[in-house]
Amino acid sequence: MTLLRAEAPRPKEVDLTRRYDAIVVGSGAAGGMAAHVLTSRGLDVLLLEAGKKLDIEAELRSMEWPYDHPRRGEMPYTSHAINQNEYQIRKPPYAKGTAWKSVYSYVQEWSGSDYSKNILVDEKDHPYTGTPYAWVRARALGGKTNIWGRLALRLSDYDFKAKSHDGYGDDWPISYADLAPYYDKVDLYLGIGGHAEGLDYMPDGRFQRSTRLNASEVRLRQSLARRGRMLTPYRAGVTTDGLKHNKYRSKCYGRGACGRRAGGCDIHAAFDSPTGLIYPAMDTGHLTLRTGSICREVTVDPVTGKADGVAFVDMATGRSLEAKAKVVVLAASTLESTRLLLLSKSSRYPNGIGNSSGHVGHNFCEHVMGPSVGGIYKDLIGKPRTLDDGRPGAFYIPRFSNLKDKDPNFIRAYGFEGGSGTGMFPHTTSAPGFGKNYKQSIRAIEGATIGMGGFGEVLARYENAVSIDPEVVDKHGVPVLRFSFKFGDNEKKMCADMAAQAKQMFEDAGIEVLQSDGEILTEGWSIHELGTARMGNDPKTSVLNQFQQSHDVKNLFVVDGSSHVSASCQNPTWTIMALAWRSCEHLADELGKGHL
Amino acid sequence: MKRRDALKLGAAAAAVPLLPQGLAFAAEAAPVAGKFLSAPEMALLDALTEMIIPADEHSGGARAARVAAYIDGRLAEYDPTIPDLRAEREQWKAGLAAVDAASRTAGGKTFLESTPEQQLAVLTAMAAGEKDAKTDAQKFFRPLKDWTARGYYTSSIGIHDEMEYKGNVMQDEYAGIDVATLPKVEPQ
Repeated sequence: MTLLRAEAPRPKEVDLTRRYDAIVVGSGAAGGMAAHVLTSRGLDVLLLEAGKKLDIEAELRSMEWPYDHPRRGEMPYTSHAINQNEYQIRKPPYAKGTAWKSVYSYVQEWSGSDYSKNILVDEKDHPYTGTPYAWVRARALGGKTNIWGRLALRLSDYDFKAKSHDGYGDDWPISYADLAPYYDKVDLYLGIGGHAEGLDYMPDGRFQRSTRLNASEVRLRQSLARRGRMLTPYRAGVTTDGLKHNKYRSKCYGRGACGRRAGGCDIHAAFDSPTGLIYPAMDTGHLTLRTGSICREVTVDPVTGKADGVAFVDMATGRSLEAKAKVVVLAASTLESTRLLLLSKSSRYPNGIGNSSGHVGHNFCEHVMGPSVGGIYKDLIGKPRTLDDGRPGAFYIPRFSNLKDKDPNFIRAYGFEGGSGTGMFPHTTSAPGFGKNYKQSIRAIEGATIGMGGFGEVLARYENAVSIDPEVVDKHGVPVLRFSFKFGDNEKKMCADMAAQAKQMFEDAGIEVLQSDGEILTEGWSIHELGTARMGNDPKTSVLNQFQQSHDVKNLFVVDGSSHVSASCQNPTWTIMALAWRSCEHLADELGKGHL
Repeated sequence: MKRRDALKLGAAAAAVPLLPQGLAFAAEAAPVAGKFLSAPEMALLDALTEMIIPADEHSGGARAARVAAYIDGRLAEYDPTIPDLRAEREQWKAGLAAVDAASRTAGGKTFLESTPEQQLAVLTAMAAGEKDAKTDAQKFFRPLKDWTARGYYTSSIGIHDEMEYKGNVMQDEYAGIDVATLPKVEPQ
């Protein structure tokens, strides 16, 4: 079968002398969605991306066999990935004083790092300061959607109305009913594989063909069902049946390249922002894209106090440039959008634009990771192997804590992402010794192993925050973020339960536990930063209204994860896109009425 | 499909003549220097990797998969101006020297000059410290084993012949069981 690949559309000429309808800053899940919705409403949009447009298929090369690569997929040996130990014993900036030519976040430790080295930022060029934090950033067209883990989950009113449920924090200014139609739109426009389970705490989507479960996963699913818990096939933001309306993406062919390296699907069955959202938006004729444009400030009309554009550094020349628009939409990722708000200081907005509440940078939340379990389902030892890594993901165990019952030790919840079965590389580390027995034992257990790790909700707390470092600047002269972020008591107690429950669930299912870990990974590990410009009904305690519109500056929108009021324990990308869709429709309506 | 089949056939065809050739290498052929390691070091590393993952009736071993050349190639690319890389290079040279030193202590000869039984005893003593390494030779065992496994299981022989991995091909349907067909289980 020959795979036809549609070429990326020809870019429109950038015109910095004109006033666009909207400027969108950032081209990941949020920025791509903003560009899609606004251009589909006929608005002329300038999309600014700090990184380059990569030849992404040439980067990912996901069909390449490891032995056809000179370093078996590893990045050049002059580069270094920060490891867990370094994150713990040192403080950022982690690349300070290093002899390495390039330093990357921990993600580059994964097998196949040569395929993601141009997507992730070099920590030498992009430092940050403060408390330990594993901050994973992608600067390239599409951002982190180029390498994301693809788990596409909906939040529920257990999340949107969490305060009403347990008294902690704040409710979101929306409920599930407000967002459900937009989740539907995202599902149908981008494609999602999944199996409907009818859970009120993790609502079903408009699913395409689901992946399947192998024997050990079925065993665990049925065992969990006896306890009233759920294991469902990985709900992947992957089009498993194809999308007739998108010529840039292929359906998933289950090739088995998904688990091999830091994500990345070069047939674009897995959602990525360029092929899923940006190229189709360019085809409307309304989208102008400018890459290598590092925004450093939202500019303000001194008369009206409204945003009138952005100031940015041109990556190629280092020149400072400006672009003008009627509306500014920030979608640069949670922390980069926050950095931009804080950097946009003026006499009118001395604490940064949109920050009269003083909440910008605060209420920083995410997911805590670390506790995990690995085991072996002995009935499968020596059995014929199935091609399990042809699936975009294996399984997900949604939350079960604090639904009907109240856990005495912690509030909120956690879920597990799991994997099992045959992969390209066998499990070699757990087998002891050497020689013929070692080799045979690796072969025998391949396909019989199963493992999973937890993702827990980190509570939004005002004191967990980022601010602008008064001294340190990045390669482009832009002041950097300073972290003040620590997991708290609730996270620690939750993780203790996570580790114990994981082990218990395996044992109950008759899976022999080989490894059980309760250690908490460094803050930031989940790559799910959220909350630093939260929505709310009260302008005194929130930054944005329910349409991700600044309370202070009505033509300024922040449509990424910074707007989330709480972290939930379910992965945020699908919610980011559903919210951005809803907000950008509102934006277009309001602009049409002359309200902005 | 075609590309993969060709690769698989190529790997299988290559493995057959390589096996006897590889086995003869240590005994007869003059040792050849690597890009970083010396000829005697390469010969020692080659023997050690083959002992860790040997050829058996199922597939070729580390020697056929040229694991020593892979490790040497990796070390050769290490930039010695970067302290961590220089240290890791030295660790490999020192580790190989420690194996010979342990062999001399045990039987008076270098590892390669020793009998297969003596060689097995030396490597077994190294592996005994796998979880809690004390001697220099024991400390070398874990990196030696890890990199042998990595080199072997990323090789064509490791992936196609040994593990018989069938992936990287298009499939009409995902492997596994359709959840909709499972019997419903009620909570107890």
